[in-house]
Amino acid sequence: MLEFIRFELNYRFSRPVTYIYFLIIFAMSFIATSTDIVRAGGSGGKVMENAPIVLSGIMLAIMIFGIFIASAVMGVPVLRDFEHKTDSMIFTTPTSKLSYLGGKFIGSFLTLLVITSGIVLGAMFGQAFAWPWLDNADRLMEFSFIRFWNPYVVFILPNLFVFSAIFFMGGSLGKRMVVVYAQGITLFMGYLVASSFLAQLDNQAMAAMLDPFGFGALEVTTQYWTVAEQNSTLIPFSGYILGNRLIWLAVGIFSLLLVYFKFNFQLAGNAGRKAKKNATKSVREIANDIIETPVVNQLFGLSAQLVQIRSLTWFYFKWIVKQGPFLFIAGAGVAFVFVIAFVGGTEGYDIEVYMTSSRAVSMIGIFNLFFIIITVFYTGEIVWKERDVKMNLIYDALPYANYVSLASKFLGMVLMSIFILSVLMFTGIAIQLIKGYPVIEWNIYFTNLFVDTLSVMVLYLVLGLFIQALVNHKFVGFGLMFVFYMSLIVINELGVEHGMFFFARASLGQYSEMNQFGHYVTPFSWFNLYWFGLAAIMYAVAILFTVRGMDSKFFIRMKLSKNRLNPQAVLTIVLALAVFAGSGVFIYYNTNVLNEYQNSDDRKEQQALFERTLKQYEFMSQPKIIDTYLEVDIYPKSRDFTASGYYILKNKTQDTIANIHIQESPNTDVTTKLDFASAYVIDTTYTDFRYTIFALEQPLYPGDSIKMNFDVAFTTEGFKEGGSNNDVVYNGTFFNNSGYFPSLGYNDGFEIGSDDDRKEQDLEVKERMMETDDPRGVANSLFGDDADKISFEVIISTAENQIAIAPGYLQKKWTEDDRTYYHYKMNTPMVNFYSIVSAEYEVMEDTWQPLVDSLPEVSLEIYYHKGHQYNLDRMMAGMKEALTYYSENFSPYQFTQLRIMEFPRYQSFAQSYANTVPFSEGIGFIQNIKTNNVDLPFYVTAHEVAHQWWGHQVTEAGVKGNAMLSETLSQYSALMVMKHKFKPEIIKEFLKFELNSYLMGRTFEQKKEQPLYQVEGQGYIHYRKGSLVMFALQDYISEDSVNAALKRFNQDFAFKEAPYPTSKDLITYYRAVTPDSLQYIITDMFETITLFENKTTEAEYEEISDNEYLVNLSVNTIKYQADSLGNEEEQILKDWIDIGVFTEGNDGKDSLIYLQKHKISQAENDFVLTVGAKPTKAGIDPINKLIDRNPKDNVKELSEKEAI
Amino acid sequence: MNLSIKNLSKTYPNGVQALKDVNLEIPVGMFGLLGPNGAGKSSLMRTIATLQEADSGKITLGDLDVLTQKEEVRRILGYLPQEFGVYPKVSAEDLLDHIAVLKGITKSKERKMLVKALLQKTNLWQHRKKGLGGYSGGMKQRFGIAQALISDPKLIIVDEPTAGLDPAERNRFLNLLSELGENTVVILSTHIVDDVKELCTNMAIINQGEVLLTGNPIASIKSIEGKIWSKTIDKEELDQYKANHNVISERLISGKPEIHVYSDTKPEGFTAETADLEDVYFTKIKESTQTAEAAV
Repeated sequence: MLEFIRFELNYRFSRPVTYIYFLIIFAMSFIATSTDIVRAGGSGGKVMENAPIVLSGIMLAIMIFGIFIASAVMGVPVLRDFEHKTDSMIFTTPTSKLSYLGGKFIGSFLTLLVITSGIVLGAMFGQAFAWPWLDNADRLMEFSFIRFWNPYVVFILPNLFVFSAIFFMGGSLGKRMVVVYAQGITLFMGYLVASSFLAQLDNQAMAAMLDPFGFGALEVTTQYWTVAEQNSTLIPFSGYILGNRLIWLAVGIFSLLLVYFKFNFQLAGNAGRKAKKNATKSVREIANDIIETPVVNQLFGLSAQLVQIRSLTWFYFKWIVKQGPFLFIAGAGVAFVFVIAFVGGTEGYDIEVYMTSSRAVSMIGIFNLFFIIITVFYTGEIVWKERDVKMNLIYDALPYANYVSLASKFLGMVLMSIFILSVLMFTGIAIQLIKGYPVIEWNIYFTNLFVDTLSVMVLYLVLGLFIQALVNHKFVGFGLMFVFYMSLIVINELGVEHGMFFFARASLGQYSEMNQFGHYVTPFSWFNLYWFGLAAIMYAVAILFTVRGMDSKFFIRMKLSKNRLNPQAVLTIVLALAVFAGSGVFIYYNTNVLNEYQNSDDRKEQQALFERTLKQYEFMSQPKIIDTYLEVDIYPKSRDFTASGYYILKNKTQDTIANIHIQESPNTDVTTKLDFASAYVIDTTYTDFRYTIFALEQPLYPGDSIKMNFDVAFTTEGFKEGGSNNDVVYNGTFFNNSGYFPSLGYNDGFEIGSDDDRKEQDLEVKERMMETDDPRGVANSLFGDDADKISFEVIISTAENQIAIAPGYLQKKWTEDDRTYYHYKMNTPMVNFYSIVSAEYEVMEDTWQPLVDSLPEVSLEIYYHKGHQYNLDRMMAGMKEALTYYSENFSPYQFTQLRIMEFPRYQSFAQSYANTVPFSEGIGFIQNIKTNNVDLPFYVTAHEVAHQWWGHQVTEAGVKGNAMLSETLSQYSALMVMKHKFKPEIIKEFLKFELNSYLMGRTFEQKKEQPLYQVEGQGYIHYRKGSLVMFALQDYISEDSVNAALKRFNQDFAFKEAPYPTSKDLITYYRAVTPDSLQYIITDMFETITLFENKTTEAEYEEISDNEYLVNLSVNTIKYQADSLGNEEEQILKDWIDIGVFTEGNDGKDSLIYLQKHKISQAENDFVLTVGAKPTKAGIDPINKLIDRNPKDNVKELSEKEAI
Repeated sequence: MNLSIKNLSKTYPNGVQALKDVNLEIPVGMFGLLGPNGAGKSSLMRTIATLQEADSGKITLGDLDVLTQKEEVRRILGYLPQEFGVYPKVSAEDLLDHIAVLKGITKSKERKMLVKALLQKTNLWQHRKKGLGGYSGGMKQRFGIAQALISDPKLIIVDEPTAGLDPAERNRFLNLLSELGENTVVILSTHIVDDVKELCTNMAIINQGEVLLTGNPIASIKSIEGKIWSKTIDKEELDQYKANHNVISERLISGKPEIHVYSDTKPEGFTAETADLEDVYFTKIKESTQTAEAAV
């Protein structure tokens, strides 16, 4: 056996490819760890770049690429003997099967180990030194070997063994390399399927086990790890990870055993099969009509060429689609699309979204990966087809025109792409039909698949042909394609971001059923024209340089290409060049001349300069807007609008204000003209920042007002690179004042936020918000320092077929010159935050009568896109029930109208403006809510309605903890509405997702986790933790008490101006309604980050008499307090925690028969409880009211106590 | 229509000079190109078949300039390369039809007739549905000639077609070649002297890129008649004989070497041998090798 090992190693290490593989792996690992180019592994913020979890992520990602190398190395050792026909020589020598196979396997495996050691060595090399291009000293912990070897031992080494065994089996038993590649793709799909399972809480265990790479197990194990844990904890070889490793090691060992027992150590194997196959086809008939060779006509004109192309194209197409690998990849891809559609078809809260055609198409988009594999692989194969079977000399001497061959290969591949796309289209349709949404929109299938996807395929196909024709070496060609993909990533990182540099990039954007493909069509078309121009040039060059005959040296082909350069070729190249250059110029003119183009680095630089220049004005005394009047004309077809109107500014300070600072919209599509009603001069203009200081001749004394007139014009000129404006669109315009209308003074919202980016620009790291007690902060509401409340009036005109909506009540509506005018006026002062919406709408109307009969009826309206009627009743019910609950428990509703307006799915949120709620098409409208689902449209509606109280009635100060007053209270309010409408199971389901989102959110924290009362824009805290905490609070001190506190809080702060309330204010209201014994929960929930580790260790019951059971429970409790990075400190227990017992209810589900809070003051506790029905499960905090990282072990199945 | 090659030279990038100032006039009929392996036969054939560039020189076929009017030459060319493969799963009938399309026969009816005739002619008719992967060496060569004969070419180039064939297959193949039209230039390259002897009216001997002899095989034999002597010797004596005589060839007869010597006069102990084409061949090869060695 040693001899075989030695031979294998000698062979491997005499071949350059072994070293090339090593270098590739080493380079990838080095680049991933020592540069910012690859952000694999999830470092960022406070997670260090050499944290074990980050290194694991990087190494596993490289391993995914490494699977191709592993297949190349491990698939061939036995195969090679068959291909080189040395099998007969070896099998006739007196070697044993074991030493042959064992030697081959061990030799190759050792080689693979050497190659893949590049993963660890590259990473260590990448982080051992302070590379001059890196400024990441503060992002690295002290170098330590164990952090590199830990992931290697836990993941990489077992993976290598398992994959090696599988590939070795495939190569040895399958005797074809294709089998090995198919195995590689299957393993890769295992990873993809597992990651789609991961998103679903109930399938995580399966995902953890299924993933051959161990990624899933790593994710599940570490998903709740805090920043501190991520930095300090090595990847444990236990739990899911251990299970996953054992399963796959077993698969590996099984594969090796299979090879040993199934491998036929004799010669016949191969030849026998072939002979049989071929024997069948001899035709017995002997021709008796011997014919003379007929005289035939040879034609060489264009029509003949077309016949030749047709014939060859068909020939190549048939060849590809009959290929095993093709069928496998295509079949696997389709199967994968199905799996994803059915397993991963749900979104947040496990809710299914209707399988519209556009959604089915996006599912099909998963296939693109397989498409790339097929394209790259088969362009190589098809270019080399004749040469691979050594028929090239016959073909090359045939009298067809030079272009015919390549054209046919190209068309054959195009036909193949169309074939797959058709299969995929029917897959999509099948998915739609099975999912019960049979509205087939052919237009979407056609545009996405046969225009968008096909273009990309064709472009890459031409690139492949071009590279293959030029370098004339199949594997170098493959390598260059890979280098090409990689280089796109690299140049992007180097600041080249313009789409014109990214081959085949042309985006149709997000499809919106409201706006359809919208304004994306124009740039998409131009970019495609541009790329196809380039492709035509490449295609022509490929024809000129393609090898025909024996001469493959480049300089000879250069010479030949001159001979081939006939007028048609010249014409093609000139035309293509004209198209390429012409469209390029046109695109450039649009993106860089008509519009301003900035890459992200320039943008950051400008932001930094803005901050350095203007920060000095941040706290200048400025007047506030008290009155806004606007006339807005929206032109949906040209995506323009103009607005003219005025603000009344009032000096509410004690200072005299001589200079008014105006920040115009920074949006380059907006032009702003300003004028004051009294005399002024322009003091300074910062043109780059659109910031102007106006010096008033007559300063504003305290209490004085001034009228400021302005004209704003938003003009869409041509199209932009990348992020196009999605606010003003053909159908579904939605924008608010903050991005378009002038504002007062310095706006710190334009500053760079991320710590990393600030350091890059040499700016001090800054706090995300002002401190809760900061008097400057408390003086302003969360809507900014421009205004407290304003009077608001607007006249909007829009295209006749659209309805325009803004906060306020409709005063008048009229039509003039094919345009419809809507005059809205708000009857009470409102916050300085208003939306302008315009779209073609269907309207659903209803009313709600406040409980106090003297109050006027409230009209309810939902403006929705035709066809999106599925959840309107849920939304309408949400509005009514929310209005009822809030007006009963908090205060009366301040408006007599409430409207929901659908807007395109370019953004996925709903937002509450005064009596107006824009609601994204992407959420709520097309969800398929089933009876056991959380009714999300209902819930989101209730949440937004709650903002009419929490945000609009009580407007909080814009300081740390602010969202606890608006978002958390809206979560609470909506949750209470839901609690009264739905079964407890639904609420539990909802809270389960909230807990998961909170715990996941912590792991991704970039700066510091805050306790709820200090929350600084962290959604996972103010929404997710907010729900959990508020649900627990009302459980501990009762819903009535919480509502009483909120009612008082509302009374004291509603409709008030500065000083605005803060989280500290609200906490005093909570404390006021909380008994002394439970005061600690306010601290735990709001003022600290407190977590529990509750666990039931033992649970038994015995039947003492009919309908009387004794339950014995042993439970374990630990209470932690975490700091902002997640370092935990154990707390002394003095807590009241639920103890509960379940029985099996009539419906077969768990039903609580006992639930009571017990005082827990030590870690280990035993309980003996008597219940009146046969208990099934029991435990501590059984319905997960407390925040617990292992909520599943709180409850245990009861076992019957053995009789003594 | 004659094929005329003038001053053709070709040096490969690795320095090997494959063709040195080759001049040949090839008339209609069967022309044998004889030479050992590596003599430059295939390079010459491929250059004539428009598949390789020459460094200098000229090839004309009738009015056509072969080196520049490739497209036109290919229209009247039938080429059977020295080594070629096939699509293993495609049947002879389909592949022949496919090639016929590329030869410009765009009418499918015509193609069908043609394919049938060619398959009958090459005795492959009963195997027409069979995947080419299952063909024997001889069948494959016959398929090769069938494809070369599509559309009645005026120039047929067959490069080492009999290499590796068993005697029966070889005969069958040579018979097939002998039937080729009289109005056609057929160039047969081979290293087997008998191929040329049996088929060709004209021939050239080529070695190390140079043409050593052109002419009629019979006339060539005549030119050395009476100058070939043979003797059976012991193995140990071989070197000595080689040193003292102009040994042009040696072969084993019953385990003992029999040497042929080229000499104007009878060397001692040798018997006169009837000269044949093989002796011509070996004489020429010997001469050229000696010249080359002398030149070094």
